[in-house]
Amino acid sequence: MSMTGNKISIKLTHQGVLVTLLFGLIITFGLIEPVFFRPSVLLDVMAIMGDVGVMALGMTYIITTSGVDLSVGYNQQLSAVVFGMVYLSTRNLALAIAAALLCGTVLGFFNGLIVAKTKIPPLVTTLATMYLFRGISMILAGSMTYSGFPQGFRLFFTYRLFGVLPIQFIYFTAVFLILDSLYSYGALGRNLKGMGFNEESVHFSGVKIQKIKIGIYTLLGLLCGFAALMYLGRLSVAKTSIGDWINFQVITAVLLGGTSINGGVGSIRGTFIAILIIGVLKKGYTLMSLSGNIFNFTLGTILILSLIVFAVTEERKNVVSSKIRKTNIPTRV
Amino acid sequence: MKKSIRMTREVVLAIIVAVFILFLSLTTNFNTVSGIYSFMLDISPTIVAAIALSLVIFTGNIDISAGTIMGFVAYTAGKLAEAGIPFVIFLPAGMLVGVALAGLNGYITVKFKVPSIVVTLAMNMVHIGFYATFLPMSGWIENLGENFTWFGRGRFLNIIPYGFVLAFFVSLLFMFIMKYTKFGKALYAVGGSIQSAMYSGIDPDRTVIKAFLMEGLLLGIAAVMKATTRSDVMPSLFIGRELFFISAALVGGVSIFGGVGKIFGTVMGALLVYLLSISMIYLGFQDYYQFALQGIIILAAVYITVTDFSLLKKSYCKETDEFPGKKGEEA
Amino acid sequence: MEKQPILDICGIDKRFPGVLALKDVSLQLLPGEVHAICGENGAGKSTLMKIIAGVYVADTGSILLDGQELHLENPNDAYKQGLSIIFQESSLFPDLTVLENLFMGHEEQKSLFPVLPFIRMNDIPKMRKRAKEIFIRLEMNVDLDEKISALGVATKQMVEIAKALTFDSKVLILDEPTAALTNKEVHTLFETIRRLKQEGVSILYISHRLEEIFQIADRVSVLRDGAYVATADVSDVSKPKLISWMVGRFLENLYPKEDVEIGETVFEVKELWQRGLLHGISFSLGKGEILGIAGLAGAGRTELALAVCGLSKADKGELLLNGKKLVIHQYRDALDKGIAYISEDRQRYGLVLPMTLKENITHKVLNRICNVFGIIDRRKENSITDSYMSQLSIKAPDGSFVVSKLSGGNQQKVSVAKSLAAEPQILILDEPTRGVDVGAKSELHRIISNLAKAGKSIIIISSDLPEILGMSDRVMVMKNGCKAGELLRAELTQERILEMAL
Repeated sequence: MSMTGNKISIKLTHQGVLVTLLFGLIITFGLIEPVFFRPSVLLDVMAIMGDVGVMALGMTYIITTSGVDLSVGYNQQLSAVVFGMVYLSTRNLALAIAAALLCGTVLGFFNGLIVAKTKIPPLVTTLATMYLFRGISMILAGSMTYSGFPQGFRLFFTYRLFGVLPIQFIYFTAVFLILDSLYSYGALGRNLKGMGFNEESVHFSGVKIQKIKIGIYTLLGLLCGFAALMYLGRLSVAKTSIGDWINFQVITAVLLGGTSINGGVGSIRGTFIAILIIGVLKKGYTLMSLSGNIFNFTLGTILILSLIVFAVTEERKNVVSSKIRKTNIPTRV
Repeated sequence: MKKSIRMTREVVLAIIVAVFILFLSLTTNFNTVSGIYSFMLDISPTIVAAIALSLVIFTGNIDISAGTIMGFVAYTAGKLAEAGIPFVIFLPAGMLVGVALAGLNGYITVKFKVPSIVVTLAMNMVHIGFYATFLPMSGWIENLGENFTWFGRGRFLNIIPYGFVLAFFVSLLFMFIMKYTKFGKALYAVGGSIQSAMYSGIDPDRTVIKAFLMEGLLLGIAAVMKATTRSDVMPSLFIGRELFFISAALVGGVSIFGGVGKIFGTVMGALLVYLLSISMIYLGFQDYYQFALQGIIILAAVYITVTDFSLLKKSYCKETDEFPGKKGEEA
Repeated sequence: MEKQPILDICGIDKRFPGVLALKDVSLQLLPGEVHAICGENGAGKSTLMKIIAGVYVADTGSILLDGQELHLENPNDAYKQGLSIIFQESSLFPDLTVLENLFMGHEEQKSLFPVLPFIRMNDIPKMRKRAKEIFIRLEMNVDLDEKISALGVATKQMVEIAKALTFDSKVLILDEPTAALTNKEVHTLFETIRRLKQEGVSILYISHRLEEIFQIADRVSVLRDGAYVATADVSDVSKPKLISWMVGRFLENLYPKEDVEIGETVFEVKELWQRGLLHGISFSLGKGEILGIAGLAGAGRTELALAVCGLSKADKGELLLNGKKLVIHQYRDALDKGIAYISEDRQRYGLVLPMTLKENITHKVLNRICNVFGIIDRRKENSITDSYMSQLSIKAPDGSFVVSKLSGGNQQKVSVAKSLAAEPQILILDEPTRGVDVGAKSELHRIISNLAKAGKSIIIISSDLPEILGMSDRVMVMKNGCKAGELLRAELTQERILEMAL
């Protein structure tokens, strides 16, 4: 393990809390709405969070370096629109899939380029590109919706392995396993955490920081493109409201999962569990026929609470004070 | 000492705005009475809210939830007006709501040392969820009477909306505050350098909270101003509006890093952003081009600020005359 | 002493984690004198000043101003008491005007409406008038509406002094005020200081530039290693005397540098230029040789190291390794070629403090211990960590201990281990023993000596003269970005080095 014995116990507790929360929620919903205990419903939980999930996994990398990407949702939306447009005009599925993935990647690369090469803080950069991507997707699609994708494509994302296990969950788990191994056991994770704590020191270790930054934003872009496909495979309609509040769900999952908004400390596994928790909430709210707004309201509250809880525990662990903060660059923006 | 007009960013902006208005009035129906009236009516709340955002950005923070805070204010004002309570009471009540919500943002930002952009993003969400969940009919209030709309629809000399006069005085007041008060100087100081501010005996945390409180106050005014132009009010009216306020401030020369900017610049920025967006409509672009436009404006405005910084730094480097070689030869 | 001191500093102790920065320091500043405090880098001058300014709180001891004990919470308290400090790092706001800066935080106020006395606004005409008076006192002509960022370094310094004067200070403390100034600007500054002195302001002048002290000061006190050494009237002391106080007389055998036969030249730097920082530096380094680089702070020693390693970009110059031309674009290239740099600031550049020993030590060699998928080989990682932990006798429970919890000396060893893990042929150590205690210091010297014996070529940049004398086979002295000279081991004395450097 890469952390001290002391820290492991804290982290395990955090993940323990998350797991407890997960089961607590399932049981609560089950008691309110007994249908929730049905295996099919629980499996559905796994299916509905795939797209948000892969983006949250990629976002964990970025937040670990004390960056952030607010544009994720609209990147996904624009990629979905591009998919719809390309497919409906060419009827070539492979081309459309490639176009969607490429679109996501390029947008992510664009973010990464600005973050790495200029001094504009990531929050501001991606706030601006968030509006930009949203605007472009609206310009492209107008008020149109794209649908009528072939059954084969849908099967890619709605197939159930052995008739039970949703394939979206398998994709999500696969991405999780790859990203987690690089994060927890790889050189990349080491550098990401180092950058979150003290970027200059990592630079003085001969690490090419700019490349890493461009790389992780591009990776997240690619995952957004993939998330667009997952979304379309599941819901089959490309329209210009797909991206609303997605960035916010993604960031909530990452922070709830135990990654610090100040960088340095993070956990892909925490994000994984947090995504499941959010999935349970979403499904539970749907079953209780509560609106999407209540779901978002709950998430907003969770996000603020996890920020506060993290700030308080971080202070206690004294991670913040031992960390050399960059002067002059306002950390709050 | 010479007293010449310096070509500051604000002056340049003012000239651009003037040219823009001239151009619009020559080519469109902009210079008719109704054109000017609706221009003033639209721009007034934007100016006040952009000033509100500027105060927060001066300190190096930001508030993404400004739009949804205004929604709460509008709802409060509408609800009170529906019960027959007059303007002189529902305006301060609305301002109080703004102060409370913005103050909460400031408090969380300062107390837990979390980035204000994330806090306010989450708040944005909480607010919207709250409208839909807890307000009857999602906060939609219809058929408000004269006691609500007289302010928004009233005009002097049949052409100048009351709101515009108010916005004008708010602008003057805050130009004064930023130049002539301790509070104004402290905002610049905290945004410029927290350490130097502390060396100067300024408490950064208190200053930031004060900035948020003042922001809330102004958002309250702006929201009432906008809401009273309508006979039906819904909180969702303001969702996403913060984008315009932020880009107005940034275009006006307020640095996203804090410590730099002028209220006059913000006012000019608000005018320019508004003129840009209505010209797009005149040119026949759909409403949703606005998002892309604002995104590009924010990026460009911030990029200019950032590059200016590095250019300045370069000129500091002491030039030594004994330097013989040319650049470009590989070490 | 016949005159009552205006500022009386008694028995100040200040301990930072791992180091005793000040030991029982006492000083008296008399009214209307310019009192210089000198000492080498790290002697505790700036720490003492920050205590007087209220930035730090002393562990023991007291400070009396005009016979009254001072209790300072922050710098502003000090200002209000009439103690003004001009810090080494600027406390001005670059984007604000001169006038705004002068009165930041203590603006002159007046009531806006006579009937409502509690609504107050800044009295700009009054501030302008006072500012003008102050600049007339300083015989300076500064545009009060100019932004600070548009001013030159010297003018900024003057604005800092003017800001201090807005408090009507009785005592003015200047910390290395001439560090960034040209000779002419220094002259102007001294004129100002003399004028203030005539007006009865007492000045504490902190510097390690001896010429300046002889020009400007009435009395001088010397600090060494955080302890008070002596005070004398400037007219009574000579420069060599001051130097001997600064460096101490003894040169005990703290440093077990073993004689190593120096091999052929392995590394050569030819005519390295960097705009404004380095002016045509050339030197060479033999196998097993230790080259010391001495000089004052700001002489360009660290800049030289950064340029050699590709951490900053040189404008011109040539590097030769084993006779072959080296092309270095970034630090990774230097590391791969076998050149490693150990930063002077281990907390900021050397280490990632919140991470573990293991993570830090292997950070420069992650590419070597990863498989093709980028997964770290735990066994290699542990073996590298363990071998360097025992080789450098780093005192920590195990490799997964967090570095921030180690003492300064052990942190420095981790920083060294981190570079050694890259198995460099050439090792550049920047202030390798700054802020570590005596025991760790001699241990680090033993390590460095052993490395040279093992055939590594080493460059030590140090402000600690005994260290340079004890460790180096050869010393290059730098001054103002230029090479001031080279001394062989046989001809090394502290005095000769200081003469070249000053």
